[in-house]
Amino acid sequence: MKETVKPSDMAKPSECLCHIEPGDLSPLPPPYEDFNEKAIPPLNPEKVKHIETSLDDTVAIGIPKPANREEEEELVRRFLSGLKKLFEKENNWTFLQPLLLSMEHCTKCQTCSDACPVYEMSGKKDIHRPMFRAEVLRRIYNKYLKPGGKITAKLTGDIDLNWTTIARLAELSYRCTLCRRCATVCPIGVDNGLINHEIRKLFSQEVGISPKELHEKGTVQHLRVGSSTGMNPLAAKDSVDFIQEEMEEITGWKVDIPWDVEGADILLLHNAGEMLAWPENVGAFAIIFQAAGLSWTLSSETVGYDAVNYGLWYDDVQFSRVAVRHAEIARRLKVKKIVMGECGHAHKALTVIADRLLTGDLNIPRESAMVTLEKIVLGGKLKFDPRRNDFPVTLHDPCNFVRAMGIVEPQRRILRKIAPRFREMTPHGVDNYCCGGGSGFAIMSPYNFEAWRNLVSSRKKFLQILNAFQGEPAEIPKYVCAPCSNCKGAIRDIINFYHAEERSRIYYGGLVELIVNAMADMKKPLIQFGDDPSWKA
Amino acid sequence: MGFYLLSYLCILVFFLAAGCHVYRQWTLPMHVRWELYPVQHEVSEKLAHGGSYMENWNWWEKEQRSSFLNELKYMVPEILFIRGLWKENRKLWWVSFPFHFGLYLMIATFGLLVLHAFSVLPGGAPPAEGALRTLLSGMIVLTGWVGLILGVTGSAGMFFRRLIDPELRDYSSFVDYFNIVFIFLFFLFAFLACLLTDPLLEGAKAYTFGLLTGGDSLNAYTPAQTFLGGGTIVFASLLVAYVPLTHMSHMFMKYFFYHNVKWDDAPNRRGGPVEAAVLKNLALKPTWKAKHVEADGRKSWQEIASSAPKEMK
Repeated sequence: MKETVKPSDMAKPSECLCHIEPGDLSPLPPPYEDFNEKAIPPLNPEKVKHIETSLDDTVAIGIPKPANREEEEELVRRFLSGLKKLFEKENNWTFLQPLLLSMEHCTKCQTCSDACPVYEMSGKKDIHRPMFRAEVLRRIYNKYLKPGGKITAKLTGDIDLNWTTIARLAELSYRCTLCRRCATVCPIGVDNGLINHEIRKLFSQEVGISPKELHEKGTVQHLRVGSSTGMNPLAAKDSVDFIQEEMEEITGWKVDIPWDVEGADILLLHNAGEMLAWPENVGAFAIIFQAAGLSWTLSSETVGYDAVNYGLWYDDVQFSRVAVRHAEIARRLKVKKIVMGECGHAHKALTVIADRLLTGDLNIPRESAMVTLEKIVLGGKLKFDPRRNDFPVTLHDPCNFVRAMGIVEPQRRILRKIAPRFREMTPHGVDNYCCGGGSGFAIMSPYNFEAWRNLVSSRKKFLQILNAFQGEPAEIPKYVCAPCSNCKGAIRDIINFYHAEERSRIYYGGLVELIVNAMADMKKPLIQFGDDPSWKA
Repeated sequence: MGFYLLSYLCILVFFLAAGCHVYRQWTLPMHVRWELYPVQHEVSEKLAHGGSYMENWNWWEKEQRSSFLNELKYMVPEILFIRGLWKENRKLWWVSFPFHFGLYLMIATFGLLVLHAFSVLPGGAPPAEGALRTLLSGMIVLTGWVGLILGVTGSAGMFFRRLIDPELRDYSSFVDYFNIVFIFLFFLFAFLACLLTDPLLEGAKAYTFGLLTGGDSLNAYTPAQTFLGGGTIVFASLLVAYVPLTHMSHMFMKYFFYHNVKWDDAPNRRGGPVEAAVLKNLALKPTWKAKHVEADGRKSWQEIASSAPKEMK
């Protein structure tokens, strides 16, 4: 029988509040049944003996255990002080109205639970209900910050507040990918994803607790060195030089990537991770823009060559700093618009969220690359031979520019033109499922977190991919088009983890690679399936 | 007169509490955009796939179009029939719909009762024609009875669903049950009062007339003369006051969820009202304590956003 975990249990002593047994996870179809009995590998006791691990089978942050009673009490004090600030306009004008609405009107109908891929795939573990962490926060707020709360808590829902409650809540805020699918189905409009975002923010902005990958190695490194990858401007330029050479060698096309062109029409912002992990993406963009005769540039200024903004996931202040830097760089270059490359969260960060942060001449128009590319591909200037993409293709919808921005059709119109065997996932578009790597998960791999991601949060996406290619022979290569760096990272990891390349010949990549692969002028294919070229030259 | 005083007081509480809610929402600072697609006021060509104006090349050079009709096409079935729940949580819809529709019909019945009372007010508007009054009376009986039947079954269903479904039970507090029982008792008293003593809702007409005239009775019978009628007045009055004090205020606060958050896609144009609101926000001075924020209560958001963090944590 399933063990029930209630919000009030968050305060109670237990070695592991939620454990996933082998067989609990949603089953996978053949030939992946051998993964159905897999459990999350246990944490190494030596490595975790000084950190909080009592929530579940994994660790995302690694909060040090308190040395004494004073440290315990200090965390509780800081947490409550931060919680109060979430409801003050001076501190939280950014999200105050949505937060208040969602905190005050949930009817606990659980409609959100069935929409959440993490909850479903985890074997419906209570702590993964979207409203679970929201309810924990709501109870703490009602009891400890509202007048008379300690009395009314007996009637409205009680919870004790101690170091354990808080440390578990911090960890739990990193079990949700912020895909906000839950918010789309709520009959009232309550957004539990937002409440989760606010919990992360409270911990970062008041308590100084956040995952290293997002903060120290993320936004801090981005602002100091120039990129969350650790690349400084010189290294970025070297990478791009290498990409130019590589692209010419692979495709026979001479690529010239422009840097710091003042007055160019477009400043193209790439996720710098592309330069290191998927250089062909950067190269393919260059080929298309060059062939279309666009006036464009990259920026070599610190921060300007990396579109990411991890602040979006955990810290409004860091978010604002990165967004302002991006806008300042575009202003200095006097470009007409910024085009966001294949990076979902960068799209949402700079185009939508920062829209109410950037004023005056910092408010430079921003456009999705999906739209720019559609204009090029459907514009008729470039010639395509769709037969070159004669393999099954499916499209992953990045939550951040599909559900959160309404950029849904441009990428589909492109695919319908250049990929004759394109098919949709079910569901797709604004109803899509997250890749499982959202909100920073794709770049987080402390302890055994990567295994948790592959087994739990990315599992639904893996099932969707398998379903999209159902009926296709195993030996035929198949392409998952994921026009977002983080999603691509998560999909790469599930393909490797489940041996999907060996068992089903599933490959992945971006949209621009498919476009270049189908260009009639191209002498050699860009896309390779293992050692096999996707078409014969 | 005590019943009338209770009703007046409760109506006053309703307007004060609802007014406070709405006023607070109106005066909150403009937040960052956090819309979710589909945004239902989009034009049909976009709405069909959940797209936005940002799908257009150089969208900022074009006039932003929206469709109130599309918004209505979504909102009307959502409000009346709770379409979202039908689609996403069918087993709950079977009890939630009669519960909510029963409440709507009670509000409609009250509106009709007020119209009826106006139609018979001496010295007020010219007395309505007999046919119109008959029509009003007929509609009152129809909406009243249907609403009561739906309300009794819906609220009982909601209670039992919450009690027997572990998904709901494990997260329900005393107040969650209390709210439903409260509403159920109102429906039950009203239903039994009509069934046993007043099938044509003459008492309700008389009481509503009395509400408008400070206690003058329309006829010899008033509901307060019976236990069930008195109970109905007490529960109805208290419910009116209670709803805006609880999360049940989502009944009208849903407007803000949709128009101020989920569908708020208004772009920031230079020199426009959004920019003015943003500038106001950027002048606010945060006090977050983490070192990397470097807030001291004197620096504004604008200054902090334009700086680089010196501290890691």
